Amino acid sequence: MIREFKFMLRDKSVCVWLSLALVFSIAAITLGLDEVSQQRDEIAELKQLDLIEREVTLADQQDWGSAAYYIFHITYDAPSNFAYAALGQRDVSPWKHRIRMLALEGQIYETDVNNPDFALIGRFDFAFLSSLIAPLLVIFLLFDLRSGEQVAGRLSLIEASALNPKNLWYMRAGLRSGTLVIVLCAPLVIGGLFAGSSISTLVLCVLSVSAYLAFWSALTIKLTSAARTGSYNLTVMLGVWLILCAVIPATLTQAIEKAVPLPTGGEIVMTQREAVNDAWDLPREATYAPFLAQHPEWENYTAWNDSAFEWKWYYAFQQVGDQTAEPLSRAYRVGQLRRDQIARWSSLASPATLLQRTMEHLATTNMAAAIAYEQRVRDFHAKLRGWYYPKMFKSEVFDAGLARQTIPGYESMLSAQREE
Amino acid sequence: MNVIIRIAREEWRQWLRSRLAVLSSIVFVFLLLFTTVLTALTAREAGHQRLHQQEQAESTFLDQPDRHPHRMVHYGHYVFRVPPPLAMFDPGVDAVTGQSLFLEGHRQNSAMFADARAEARTGGFGLLTPAKLYHLFLPLLVIALGHGVILRERESDTLGPLMSQGISGERLYFGKLLALGALIVALSLPALFSSVLASLLGESLLSASLLYVVNLLYLSIWALLTLLVSLSTRSRGVALGILSAVWVITVLVVPRIGVTSASIALPTEGKILTDMRMNHDLRKIGDGHNAADPAFAKLRTDLLAQYNVENLEALPINFRGVVSSESEAALTETLNAYAEERMLREQMQSGHLSAYGLVSPYLAVGGASRNLAGTDLETHHRFLREAEAVRFEFVQGLNQAHIEKLSYVDDMNRNKGEEGSRRARVDSANWQVLQDFRFTPDLAIDRVSRAVSKLLTLVLWIAALMSIGLLAARRLIP
Repeated sequence: MIREFKFMLRDKSVCVWLSLALVFSIAAITLGLDEVSQQRDEIAELKQLDLIEREVTLADQQDWGSAAYYIFHITYDAPSNFAYAALGQRDVSPWKHRIRMLALEGQIYETDVNNPDFALIGRFDFAFLSSLIAPLLVIFLLFDLRSGEQVAGRLSLIEASALNPKNLWYMRAGLRSGTLVIVLCAPLVIGGLFAGSSISTLVLCVLSVSAYLAFWSALTIKLTSAARTGSYNLTVMLGVWLILCAVIPATLTQAIEKAVPLPTGGEIVMTQREAVNDAWDLPREATYAPFLAQHPEWENYTAWNDSAFEWKWYYAFQQVGDQTAEPLSRAYRVGQLRRDQIARWSSLASPATLLQRTMEHLATTNMAAAIAYEQRVRDFHAKLRGWYYPKMFKSEVFDAGLARQTIPGYESMLSAQREE
Repeated sequence: MNVIIRIAREEWRQWLRSRLAVLSSIVFVFLLLFTTVLTALTAREAGHQRLHQQEQAESTFLDQPDRHPHRMVHYGHYVFRVPPPLAMFDPGVDAVTGQSLFLEGHRQNSAMFADARAEARTGGFGLLTPAKLYHLFLPLLVIALGHGVILRERESDTLGPLMSQGISGERLYFGKLLALGALIVALSLPALFSSVLASLLGESLLSASLLYVVNLLYLSIWALLTLLVSLSTRSRGVALGILSAVWVITVLVVPRIGVTSASIALPTEGKILTDMRMNHDLRKIGDGHNAADPAFAKLRTDLLAQYNVENLEALPINFRGVVSSESEAALTETLNAYAEERMLREQMQSGHLSAYGLVSPYLAVGGASRNLAGTDLETHHRFLREAEAVRFEFVQGLNQAHIEKLSYVDDMNRNKGEEGSRRARVDSANWQVLQDFRFTPDLAIDRVSRAVSKLLTLVLWIAALMSIGLLAARRLIP
């Protein structure tokens, strides 16, 4: 075994590939950790600015209605302690929102985008490295394993001197890919200890990567033959990589997109806007009827003073706007989840997809996590409404001190949810 | 000359005899054709859909009934970006940025509903487009077919006899280059199809043909590199290993490292953070909804003096409208200053990234391709600027109606019962201040000038590889 290891290291190209793998992995992990800490810093700063702004805005208000209109709340989805390995959906879905008590459907689709050129090219994270580049490294390490010995004229000698030639090749292949796994995963684990990821997550991740690369090693050994030249073998394997890592995933995305159409986003927002704006010209009962259907407790509080404008009515039609857009918005979310579900099942047919999805699952940076965050924002918004409605419908006198102390906070909602 | 053609023809015969070469070419050609047609259809459909949505948004706005002008400011308007014809080859940032924008008073919204967000996550490289195939994967085919052009002769011991027949290394080089060139031209036909189709659909001939040329240049770089490695290594296995390594590093690794390096060297903060910082500045402007805001006291005194009247009711114009208009103008100035700063920052980041084009032709060709197709960052920024111009114009148009068409007294009594609210309205003919929005690509010449530096990078690569290749060819020994 040790002798074989020494043999392996004598092969210059093997050393080159293994050291490249190490450099790539170190780069991916450091860049990932850096990004995660940047996101954490940004969230911390947002929270702080939010507090300052709340103070200033509250001081200016005279009634609950305008307080609800002018006070924004920061909500955020902090990166998990394994997010450094797979940033996943966080690059395209929002992980921070600044919302207020107006119709939520007009606010929740805003995306705080990064430079679009960046998203287009993509990120060099560990998920990318392990699911797309590592198979290539396996191929480079193994394609010439037997054909190389054949060219050197040693093949029959080696096979004759081994007890079981097949085992010998598997051992050599295992040695090379095993070293590759170690070289790739060592920075991951060290990074994980830094980031405080749980041991079980790290173990699962290392196991998935090992299984995935074992698959690729077996495939390479199977498809390359000693009788062919190294360049023939490599060409075949590059083709296999292209099909498995680029063509199949792209086809899946394309097919899923066609199979599960989503309402166009514009439709949702426009429906909401029309409902909200029409309300100004509609009889008040037309707004209150659907509102009271959801909030019967305010049945007896909708009386008007003589003015043409009341905040409680304003926020009632904001809510009715959300209610009108609800079927579309739900269809959008259900469609996204449905797409995700199909992608999950079809990943059984596409190993690269499976590994990437596993890592995003471990890092909670998948579609489900993005939608769960959206749901938390919805919950929080509902909490805000629940807090303001009694004050407006019962015409309570504005009290900045009370607001300061009891206004719902996103963070306290999160910790309450965690306790449940 | 004849010799060169003979060498090239012989190489093609070899390729056609190799089942692997034929099979992989068929796979690629099929992928190219399929993706070209599919992307063209998608772009076409998106174009129709967005144009329709745009027209609908405009007529909905104009059809709004008589109401208070400020209500229309909040009612707002949508603009859509119709993809340019060449998006059928390179959709560029379109999928990442989203294509519609909601315009309303007092705010600059970001584009919503990027396709990428709702895409099923299947790993890999995302949806395939012709541009992606050409830039990412076609080099692999060139490498796979081309790495043996010289080495095959060497390994089958035909190189010596060839050269002893008086065929110089240089001629051999050009012969093999011709073979590879013909291969590239054949592979580029689907791109030519996209360019021709785009120019039939109204794209300028200059940018459409240049886009085709850029792709040819890029593939030539890979052909020259392949030939160079084939000349200077001793075995096909080694040659293919080296070439694949170069491909992995320049196409898969360097661009992504470049992205991170750009975002570390020139960090940008999110829009929300910028907004919150900006709010601090904005508090100085005052709230345009509240004409009693102390920030407008000076405006009030000035106006009263200018018209020589005692109180706001006596002014011939509506003071609340003036306040709305003034504060919108001041607000927009601040918003634009921040937006410009953010865009400038993004430009700088992308410039930083393009510098990596010197080590990775993939970045150069990608950048040039998006520039020429009109699907680049600059075009997105222009979309944002033009949308902002539309926003400012209709908001100020409505504010003007607020100033001139609605009396201050009626306005102040707008909340006094049904009658008050009815009197505080203006005629819907005033909604005509909204202009039609049809986003068109930049002039071809502007797009070309943005692509020039990347084009030069590609040409530089070609020149360098060609001269080294020729040197190696002269020194070729069997």
